[in-house]
Amino acid sequence: MANSGGPPNKDKKRNPRAALDPLTTDAMAGSSTSSSGPSKLEVVSKAIMAPFHRRVDSNRILSELAPVIMTPRMMSSAGTVSSRPKASLRDKSSNSSHALDFATLGRAPLRMTLGGRRVTSRDLQIVEATEELLDAEVPEPEGVASDVSFLRGFNATIPSAEKSRSRRRQTRNLEVGEKLGLKRLGMSARGLLTEEEGHESVVSEEDMVMVGDRGRKERARGRRRGRESMAAGKKLGVDELRRQSDEIKRDKENLHVKRKLINNEIVEITHKIEALDKIRQKLERDLLKLQEEDLELEDELEGVREQLEVQASARGGSQRPSSMGPQSSRRRKGPVFLPSEHDDLPPGVAFMSLESHQTPITALDFSEPYGTLVTASQEDTQPRVWDLLTGEEIGRLRGHRGSVKCIQVEGNMCLTGGEDGTVRLWDLERVDEDDDWEGVGELSVVAEETDESHEDDGLLVEKPNDLKSIRNDTNGSLPEKTGPCVRVLEGHTKAVSTIYFEDDCLVTGASDKTLRQWDLSTGQCVMTMDILWAISHPTSSTPGSTLPAHLIPGAAAAAGSFAVPTPPYADGSWEMYQDFVGAVQFWGYALVSGSGDGAVRMWDMRTGQPHRTLLGHTGPVTCLQFDELHIASGSLDKSIRIWDLRTGGIFETLKYDHAVTALQFDSRKIVAATGENGIKIYNRTSMQHSTLLTNGHTRPVERLRYMDRYLVSGGRDAMVKIWAL
Amino acid sequence: MPTELPYAADAEVSLSYDELEVLRLQYEKEVEAGHVTIQTKFNYAWGLVKSPVSEDQVEGVRLLQEIYRSEPARRRECLYYLALGHYKMGNYDDAKKFNGLLLEKEPSNLQAHSLQTLVDQRLARDGYIGMALAGGAAAIGTILLAGLIRRATRSK
Repeated sequence: MANSGGPPNKDKKRNPRAALDPLTTDAMAGSSTSSSGPSKLEVVSKAIMAPFHRRVDSNRILSELAPVIMTPRMMSSAGTVSSRPKASLRDKSSNSSHALDFATLGRAPLRMTLGGRRVTSRDLQIVEATEELLDAEVPEPEGVASDVSFLRGFNATIPSAEKSRSRRRQTRNLEVGEKLGLKRLGMSARGLLTEEEGHESVVSEEDMVMVGDRGRKERARGRRRGRESMAAGKKLGVDELRRQSDEIKRDKENLHVKRKLINNEIVEITHKIEALDKIRQKLERDLLKLQEEDLELEDELEGVREQLEVQASARGGSQRPSSMGPQSSRRRKGPVFLPSEHDDLPPGVAFMSLESHQTPITALDFSEPYGTLVTASQEDTQPRVWDLLTGEEIGRLRGHRGSVKCIQVEGNMCLTGGEDGTVRLWDLERVDEDDDWEGVGELSVVAEETDESHEDDGLLVEKPNDLKSIRNDTNGSLPEKTGPCVRVLEGHTKAVSTIYFEDDCLVTGASDKTLRQWDLSTGQCVMTMDILWAISHPTSSTPGSTLPAHLIPGAAAAAGSFAVPTPPYADGSWEMYQDFVGAVQFWGYALVSGSGDGAVRMWDMRTGQPHRTLLGHTGPVTCLQFDELHIASGSLDKSIRIWDLRTGGIFETLKYDHAVTALQFDSRKIVAATGENGIKIYNRTSMQHSTLLTNGHTRPVERLRYMDRYLVSGGRDAMVKIWAL
Repeated sequence: MPTELPYAADAEVSLSYDELEVLRLQYEKEVEAGHVTIQTKFNYAWGLVKSPVSEDQVEGVRLLQEIYRSEPARRRECLYYLALGHYKMGNYDDAKKFNGLLLEKEPSNLQAHSLQTLVDQRLARDGYIGMALAGGAAAIGTILLAGLIRRATRSK
């Protein structure tokens, strides 16, 4: 071995013991083989030691040997080697398997004599890795591995590969000088010249020999030597030139190899970056999800707290307004418990389609996820009732004499408002009786009669049994004939376009340009709010907003019918939009309405006066919802506006390509139907838009309603789709 | 794979201290930078294996193992270097295993064949020493045993 050939400065690195030892070569060979010998060595040594087992004095040597020979690794490998198929080749020399054992034993004394070289954990580590490595798959080399072998790369990149070059430089000093001039020029241009000298003094030349730096440094070295020999001005012989040309060829080849290596490395890094990018994106998504979960939990906590408060106050006997009741508000519904499978559904995919309607869906609402759904469509007087658990149609709500434009469902209570100007209250539990019931005409006749007599004062048509009595008498004491329709509320002279109720309080908006407030327990119309009056008496409290010329002048001025063509949907179709009141919602005494003049009005239900008008939309408001902080309103002007409830200013405006026909929002997202096939979801946390398309509608979506992660949408394709969010 | 492999003798020729130092610095610099190119790692590992210092060899083999683990495409090539490394360390059995695996894949590999014979030679040599040692031990054992038996019989 090369211990004689090494330069003297190597000694400091060498194990002094090993350097002194005459058996260095073997020491190198044997010292680290602590655990080399697998196979039956254990057996052999045991066999040898057996006779001496109780002889304390004589087995000293061998017992010292034993721990060295029998490392745990050998024990285990002794068992595994023979059983492994790969080992067969190595056991080809199994004739000499005895020799093998003896070989291990033979190395032992060497190990003892050189005992100073300790067996480090590294030795063990690498030997123990052998099995694992041998088990690994060895695929065919590909890519750069098949082009440039390690050795090739090694020879091309080790420092000595540059020797011939610098030698040539020495002999051709003039050229070097010239090159140096160029280099110097470049360096000074880059402002590096001043640093150059410092560089070299800090780091030794050899230290700097890197793939990239080498050329420069070598040149620098060449330059120095070149200068020294410049005066000599050697004349080069033919042999020398030939040799040089060969060397240059080789150097070029080396360069080629290096280039390949670097290119390969770059490709690898690109792959790695791509992989890391993907991981990063995934992590970011996870983070967002967590954030949303956090918000969700917050909402949940708030809901629970509210319920606690309500219960506490109820126990205390203090009567709070009914609208503060626990299950009072749609938007304040506590956590909904979904069937556990719901979480397994892929989010953003419609997992159920209800097809029975023939015309575009005009209204829908459901009691709870997997509960009961009621849908209505154009030119159809009978809203359909669905069981969301099975996706089957349970029955129909028969009674309206025009198509139904708005629906609200709370538990088993369902209210529908129709083009016939009536609002009907239904008990959904009784829907299945519907089919047996044949007195459809009878009820409507009754309603018609009363309709005429009470039209003007807007009183509700009193039916002999009100909701409460029905609920009390579910034992069937009621006549079977009544069917699911519990009440008919009449008063509006034109189509009822929107309803909103909580507990016993109902507010309706209709194309007669009025809002009416009803008491559901008595069936009385409590108040009528005239929007036309509000338009002609602009509220002074609107801060700094001058009421622009009426956006829909005809509608506002004339008491005639309101009709605007909708901007074309994504599929090019359009309709005449006639719902003067697009949406209403109230909480406590605060009522908000969105109407055909593009205004969002805030009313006080105690006085019946609007106290603020939010102007901004340039088209009829079709939908709105508000929470503690904001009002979100959607309009035919293709935008959704989020208003700050306190200041009345516009908090955010979302622009879409088509008219917005429905929206619902919570603290995290806004879900909207915007005249396209896909349902738009705006993530309020990340400010990102997304679209639900998978298995979705084939024509623009018009209505939607969601609870928790359960979304129901109805489209112009007459389909009702149910989504997991 | 091109049969561009060094012969075992090449492994015995160590680099100069300076050269190894250059390779080491290059390696360490890249480690610090966070990305070690395989060639650099191999250069350093091979330099270490060529070194006569056993600690260096161990480190070299360890690096080769790292390459083997992380670069499946380079494994076959690595097999030979691992075999050489183990051979230099004196782990003839492991050397034989790695080399055997390589020969399985490339039965005509000249370098691997030459290494095979070298390893076998070493094993045989160590074997003779071992045999002698075992023989000696056996002899001592029998003598002692004989003495004991004799003493036991005599004392009766």
